[in-house]
Amino acid sequence: MAIVKVHEKYKWKFLEKNYFYSIGAGMLVTLGAFFKTGILGKAVTIRYPEETRPISNRYRGLHTLKRDEEDRERCTACFCCQWSCPADAILIEAAEVPPEKAHLHPEDKYAKVFQVDLLRCIFCGLCEEACPKGAIYLDGGIPMPADHRDKFIRNKEDMLEKKGGPLIGERI
Amino acid sequence: MVKITVDGKEVLVNEKKNLIDALKDVGVSVPHFCYHPKLEVVGMCRLCMVETGSAKVDPVTKKTLKDQSGNPVVILNPKMQAACNTPVTEGMYVNVNSEKAKAARAGVMEFQLINHPLDCPVCDKAGECALQDYSFSVGDSGSRFREHKRNHPVEKIGTNLRIVHNRCILCYRCVRFERDIVGRDDLELQERGSETVIGYTPIDASSGPLLDTNYQGALADICPVGAFLNENTLFQSRVWWYDAKQSICHGCSELCHVTTNVKNNELYRYMPPKNPEETNYFICDTGRFSVHEFSRNRLHAYLLKGHPGKSADILPQVAENLHNASKVAIVGGSTLSNEEVDAIQLQVSEWRNSSKDVAWEFRTETPMWENRFAEKADFLMMVDRRPNSKKLLDSKAVSIGERNGWEDYLSHVDLIIVLNEFSAPYAFDATREIESSELFKLFEQKDLWKKTILVSTHESAATKKALASLPVMAFPEMEATYTRHDGQTRKSIPVLKPVKGLKTASEVLASLTGKAELARN
Repeated sequence: MAIVKVHEKYKWKFLEKNYFYSIGAGMLVTLGAFFKTGILGKAVTIRYPEETRPISNRYRGLHTLKRDEEDRERCTACFCCQWSCPADAILIEAAEVPPEKAHLHPEDKYAKVFQVDLLRCIFCGLCEEACPKGAIYLDGGIPMPADHRDKFIRNKEDMLEKKGGPLIGERI
Repeated sequence: MVKITVDGKEVLVNEKKNLIDALKDVGVSVPHFCYHPKLEVVGMCRLCMVETGSAKVDPVTKKTLKDQSGNPVVILNPKMQAACNTPVTEGMYVNVNSEKAKAARAGVMEFQLINHPLDCPVCDKAGECALQDYSFSVGDSGSRFREHKRNHPVEKIGTNLRIVHNRCILCYRCVRFERDIVGRDDLELQERGSETVIGYTPIDASSGPLLDTNYQGALADICPVGAFLNENTLFQSRVWWYDAKQSICHGCSELCHVTTNVKNNELYRYMPPKNPEETNYFICDTGRFSVHEFSRNRLHAYLLKGHPGKSADILPQVAENLHNASKVAIVGGSTLSNEEVDAIQLQVSEWRNSSKDVAWEFRTETPMWENRFAEKADFLMMVDRRPNSKKLLDSKAVSIGERNGWEDYLSHVDLIIVLNEFSAPYAFDATREIESSELFKLFEQKDLWKKTILVSTHESAATKKALASLPVMAFPEMEATYTRHDGQTRKSIPVLKPVKGLKTASEVLASLTGKAELARN
């Protein structure tokens, strides 16, 4: 039985031992990428989180509370979202609108406290669907990490949009 | 009983009733807003429209004419009839669910909703609202009304009542309730036509600018829409969150049947019972709302001179005091259940056998001393606000015969045990402070706190002053029976979960005896 000495057959030459060709080939790829992105500006990656990719109109992300055309809060604390939430993530405390804030609310009832616990939320979108006033939408972008559990509880101030607009309706 | 035909089916109904009630007995419900079994019939809402008619009779032979298939020929009245205002007659034909009747109801619903705002999300009545229910069940989904809706501002009409005129459908129930049941003719319809609103007019100079009866909750309750809202429960919850059970109210010795509304182990309010025909249609505000106070300021710790401590430390001290006392007075107890009273009575006789002078006096307030146990404050509520006075009267818990003697007596005893008398909700009036009660004033005046042991469900000014305060379970936390002022026994069921380790009043007293014996040995 003949023995084939494979290690001798494939013995590396001097240049191969120094990884001359491999480094060269790798450098070619690097230089190619450098030329493509640095000189021609054709990068495929982005600098997240400073830059974000455009997301779908129907993407369910962070919650936002909307205002109407007259910049009044759309939410009237009807508890429909809290009731429909399968993860029990929403907490609302309703109160009567004080007279000095009457111009900010269309009805006489408003949400004094409106909290969403992002650690409980499963982003199912049922709150959006349940809202009879078009006040809550999951269109606030991608949830960010945080360094404390309390920071995952979003309050009304975090979610309420500054500027109002027309009713969004169903997102398609 | 007479035989009538409802939707082609022959039924036997009571001829003394009107169509709505008679049909309800045989399981056919006719939608209605303005009709209420306890109020005068006005037929204002026109929702209970039904087709009525009779069999065609041959004028000569006086026999019922039959068609080819042998069925009697029915002549229906050309106009629909309001079922609330139509008495039952023999051989009547009624169509409740015919196409014509359905169309009539849908038409009436469209009219009712013309000025009604679409604000169910902010309306506290949503979920128990007749208009909402009937809008879904008998109404059409759309409306042909394109003009602006009538708009009146919300008005505060009672001390605990507001009226949202936009929601009112003018069923007139509130006016009839105030006039016929409460007996104060102070609500009325003002203005005319589409501008008609419910308004409050004081009946005389003595009544204030706001409605201040004890039945403002009942007004909001009989209102079939959310026009009347109670301010002390305003926007606190939604009705479908309440856990509703059938129990009794402990606000006075009338012991009304109620539906309890519990959310998060907290009592929010009482509502009238599910089967009011057999029990009571109305409940008073005192019972309905002050029960909310119940879940606040509960006493959950054993207190010694106002400072919380362990029961293992405090109970033996109290037991030692009890053991050393030769003259003991037990005050109150008429808020305890029959079972508790029986157990405490056994305990008392045991103490008496061990050569202790024990007096048990449950009367603490003027109406009780004056023996006004069967007197009513209004059409429903009793003057005596304790649920179980009758039982204590029967149990002879009246050791001190006269009111004059008892103040002296209390100053001369060695130890006073107060059973629940200083627990705020048992005074059962949210406005009434415990400090202004007769008993509290007496204790202050004679400085009896140093020898007083409170058995209490709630924290109050008294629990901080007394020698010791022992926490006990309260009525919504246990199954118990109570004796009504007329001797009838009524049962209450547990609707709240008590804090773990909480004992009943009789158990606490029994544990004192055990500890005292231990201390003696």
